[in-house]
Amino acid sequence: MRRFLSPALLLAALAVPCWLVGWLVAADFDPAKPPLGLKPVPVPTDNPLSPEKIELGKQLYFDPRLSRDNTVSCATCHDPEKGWSNGEAFATGVRGQVGGRSAPTIVNAAYSDLQFWDGRAHRLEGQALGPIQNPIEMDLTLDEAVAKLNKIPGYRAAFQKVFGTDVTADGIAKAIASFERTCLSGDAPYDRFKAGDTAALSEAAQRGMKIFFGKGQCSSCHVGHSFSDFSFHNIGVGMEKETPDLGRYEVTKLLGDKGGFKTPTLREIARTAPYMHDGRFKTLEEVVDYYDKGGFDNPQIDEGIFPLKLTSNEKADLVKFLTEGLSSESYPQVKPPKLPD
Amino acid sequence: MKRTLNGWLRGLALGVLVGAGLAPSAFGQEAKPEVVVGGLSNPCGVAVQPETGHVFVADSAAGRVVRVVDGKLQDVITGFPKDVYGKGPFYDIGPLGLVFLDKDTLVVGDGGFKDGEEYIRVYAVPAAGQPAIDFDKDVKAKSGPLAAAEGVLGEGNLYGLAATKNAIYVTCNGDDTKGWVSKVDINGTKFGPLERSIATKEAVEVDAPVGITISPRGEIVVGQMGEINKPKDGLLTFYSAANGKKLMNLETGLYDITGLAYSPKTKNLYATDFAWMATGEGGLFRLDADSANPATSLKSVKIAGFDKPTALAFAPDGTLYVTVVGPKQDDQNAPKEGQLLKIAPGL
Repeated sequence: MRRFLSPALLLAALAVPCWLVGWLVAADFDPAKPPLGLKPVPVPTDNPLSPEKIELGKQLYFDPRLSRDNTVSCATCHDPEKGWSNGEAFATGVRGQVGGRSAPTIVNAAYSDLQFWDGRAHRLEGQALGPIQNPIEMDLTLDEAVAKLNKIPGYRAAFQKVFGTDVTADGIAKAIASFERTCLSGDAPYDRFKAGDTAALSEAAQRGMKIFFGKGQCSSCHVGHSFSDFSFHNIGVGMEKETPDLGRYEVTKLLGDKGGFKTPTLREIARTAPYMHDGRFKTLEEVVDYYDKGGFDNPQIDEGIFPLKLTSNEKADLVKFLTEGLSSESYPQVKPPKLPD
Repeated sequence: MKRTLNGWLRGLALGVLVGAGLAPSAFGQEAKPEVVVGGLSNPCGVAVQPETGHVFVADSAAGRVVRVVDGKLQDVITGFPKDVYGKGPFYDIGPLGLVFLDKDTLVVGDGGFKDGEEYIRVYAVPAAGQPAIDFDKDVKAKSGPLAAAEGVLGEGNLYGLAATKNAIYVTCNGDDTKGWVSKVDINGTKFGPLERSIATKEAVEVDAPVGITISPRGEIVVGQMGEINKPKDGLLTFYSAANGKKLMNLETGLYDITGLAYSPKTKNLYATDFAWMATGEGGLFRLDADSANPATSLKSVKIAGFDKPTALAFAPDGTLYVTVVGPKQDDQNAPKEGQLLKIAPGL
């Protein structure tokens, strides 16, 4: 697939204001050439990427006008400065309302067919409009959101250019999804180590990697190029409660899905604390301790969750691998764009 | 001239996958299955005996292997213990995969023990009408188990069996970090130990190898069930029998592939899809080459809808036999609704 920006244009663009830097990133994005270690980014045939669409999606992503009181944008809960999450146990929406689950990172969400902790939405396009309509999060109906954006000439012009229409809900979803598809993390020390650079990982991280793929059983679920099977597992978190959040079960109504939540990517895990769907663990050490003890037993607990009997050194090495091995120097550090008037 | 990798993959895809799909099935989109016999309890394996054409079924939750003659069940091997599979719905399981090495030699995969305690069992099957034999006392040979070791989980649920002249291959579901296809080497009448052979999850990044068969060209063909709570993540993967290396991995669009078999007449490849999370979408599918994307995906053509199909086997004349669990009965005393179905030659 051809790249969107030629070198000549790239050079010419060096003189443009800094808020356009993000556009350069978007314009140079090639889904067939992701960072080292990642697979090509799947792009739906009914929503092909273009630099203009990615840029429009970025503006929408950072625009709080997509909320009722103009205080909450996608980036409020999925902030690039906070691992594309929000650094808190739960997401906070309009009027200070607090949700019941943590905000999952957007990093590498492009690879997940099913979105949200419970997988209730299909692809990024299916997810994008959910928070806008959620009364706890952004609290607009789609009609209200579309009408609001259509009053902003810059958006009307951008939608005309990208979609050939005024602002539509479908266009909002497609544009935001296109931008999110560019938020990738690869080319981490782990990837370079796998590619042959034996100095890319410290000895402790290498030991931790062996624990990760062996005794620690982590790769039962955190598998593949993005360290997630993007499936749903009951690891016992929250099941100690009298009325637990049943996660995936709320979507499928299959008994075996009770307490199942989507496996998060571990890419950039050092940036995305706190952890678990209810944000109960502040550190990775706490997370590893939880797994080491075998989780909270319940009838639907995953067969991969059992006491691991890790030594303290093994636990430390495992955390070292997660933090050192999966943090990329090319983390997608996107700055908010100038929003249209 | 040396072929490019893509050219080779395309050749493999079009050649191995089936020539198929490219040739229309005699049944078009829908075949008419007939019930051969009912009253089975979670049947999970089926094999056709060479020479006699008798159909053998692993009547799993009944802890037995049966022979079907004139629409009636005859016990052949009895006494297998039972275990429970799943986290809701739950299924009692005992013996799982079946494959004949010759007319008299049947191989059975365990499912009724705990992981790390299960065997591949080889039996000399009694002739029709003879008394049943015991699963343990009368075993001719057994290989296994694959016990847990430091950092490695024991293997279990030996679901899919396929055999060449030199080896028996079995899909396992113990160590979810690796997803092993294990192997027993055959040397004349001697059987080697059960050994972990192909780490399918490392190869394809998806869980649960279950269906397995041998392609007409001798490749090991594995149906990766994937996660049961994730839709349409089933894969079909070809591995070299010589060295276990992955040759090709194809997206199928199927939910949970439980069985694979090539038609002896058309060489078309068929799969059963249990479709755990959407059982209404399960059934029998023909796997056709996707001429647009031959190296990455295939086209799954639905031949018949079945309620939780678990295994399939062709007779030499092209008759296809399929086992189905049928409606789930949570009441242990409810009538058993598992069935053996057949589809007349033509697939």
